[in-house]
Amino acid sequence: MGGNRKGLTGHCGEFCRWIVWQRVQGQLGRLTAFPWRQPVITLSDASGSARPGAHPLWTRAFHGFNLLVLLLMAGSGLEIYNANPVFGGRAGATVPEWLTLGGWLAGGRDWHFGVMGLYAANLGLWIGLLLQRRHRRLADGGDLGTLRRSASPPRRRLASHRITYTLMLVVLAFSLITGLAMYKPAQLWWLVSLFAFAEPAGHSSWQTLRVCHLATIPAIALLLVAHVGLSWRVGGLRLLRRMAL
Amino acid sequence: MGSDPGRRRALGLLVSGGSSLLLGGCGLNRWSNAVGAATQPLNERIEALLQGKGPLPEFRRSQVEPAALLVNSFNGTPNLPPESYRLVVNGAVRRPLRLDLAALAALPQRECVVRHVCVEGWAAIVAWSGPRLADVLALAGPSPLGAYLAIRSADQYFETWDLASALHPQTLLATHMNGAPLPVANGAPVRLASPIKLGYKQSKWVTGLELMTSLGDRLGTWEDRGYEWFAGL
Repeated sequence: MGGNRKGLTGHCGEFCRWIVWQRVQGQLGRLTAFPWRQPVITLSDASGSARPGAHPLWTRAFHGFNLLVLLLMAGSGLEIYNANPVFGGRAGATVPEWLTLGGWLAGGRDWHFGVMGLYAANLGLWIGLLLQRRHRRLADGGDLGTLRRSASPPRRRLASHRITYTLMLVVLAFSLITGLAMYKPAQLWWLVSLFAFAEPAGHSSWQTLRVCHLATIPAIALLLVAHVGLSWRVGGLRLLRRMAL
Repeated sequence: MGSDPGRRRALGLLVSGGSSLLLGGCGLNRWSNAVGAATQPLNERIEALLQGKGPLPEFRRSQVEPAALLVNSFNGTPNLPPESYRLVVNGAVRRPLRLDLAALAALPQRECVVRHVCVEGWAAIVAWSGPRLADVLALAGPSPLGAYLAIRSADQYFETWDLASALHPQTLLATHMNGAPLPVANGAPVRLASPIKLGYKQSKWVTGLELMTSLGDRLGTWEDRGYEWFAGL
């Protein structure tokens, strides 16, 4: 357990409590509805079991599945991009083939629309569980205040991690909304019309939608780097592995 | 501590899945068709459920984007002299028809300013006008058993539609585009136009309509190569 302690003693605060609590929950092998109402338990309080330090199954399932599904969605999305580049149209530069998935346009669409339902269900379930069980992980206005005023590095890290984490959920949901608007633009015409804000500048709502949908790939990639970096400070590779599997 | 063999194996699978993606997806591209075959039936059913029977809101004429409408052709550009043009309507109908352009022009004309969405990802707002496909089919006395429509084109392009989409009030046999006679590159003298289907469903240079009670072996020029059949918007 030395590795765990080394990561955990670095800073206290709520984020450590989540990690500790999750590990304890994993050891006890059950979920508690409101972990933040429980007394803080340190690792030494937990009795040993077959799976020390494991995160709840649903945490690991979401992380592993989401990572796989996001790779499939991004790869097949870039395949679709290449059929008519968002920037430049038929004369525009295409994405290198090694980044794409599907082999050709119809193959890319097979993957993109084949996986979208799983992606949406996984994300919806996760956000539902978060709101019900762990809404303290989601950012609020106080986190921006902490970043502006607090000098304590652990507090600042916690605030920035809550903001990063919440933004990831927002970006993932945004990719779903923009994708849905382009998948069914006739039936969901009101959704498309929300993206008419750039029309005065000469950009059609369709082009705005395409740019917004594409932009979720670099956005989620940047947030992922921040999320992994901040998690690494808390629990290193062991934590990352336990989160994903 | 922690990783039992099962989880290690799963981690390995995840990593190899990820890296084969980055290496061109060679392993995964082979599965594209299978993924489509497994998920399209459910997706198409949801699409059909989403699709209303009533007309959709349209754009203003001033919103038309002539430059955004790109031209795709599967097999060149056929030339159909207007004087000898005939639209054949047959299949499960009481009165098989051969309509000339004057007969189509005599039907009530409708203009639809709608977004034309290509499977490639681009879209353009176009004003299509011509008779409703539903009115043309009604002339032929369709059998109540008719469930699908096969559309043949002069360039051998082939399409099949579900009848509900064909009868949609904004599905037209367009003879005009943006207020002018349809250009040859866009399907003159007659093409399909509809706001509820992707562009590849909207055949150009249409010469034949056949009402069918069931789908045959051929679903469509692109569908038979792997594109989705319903392709609803």
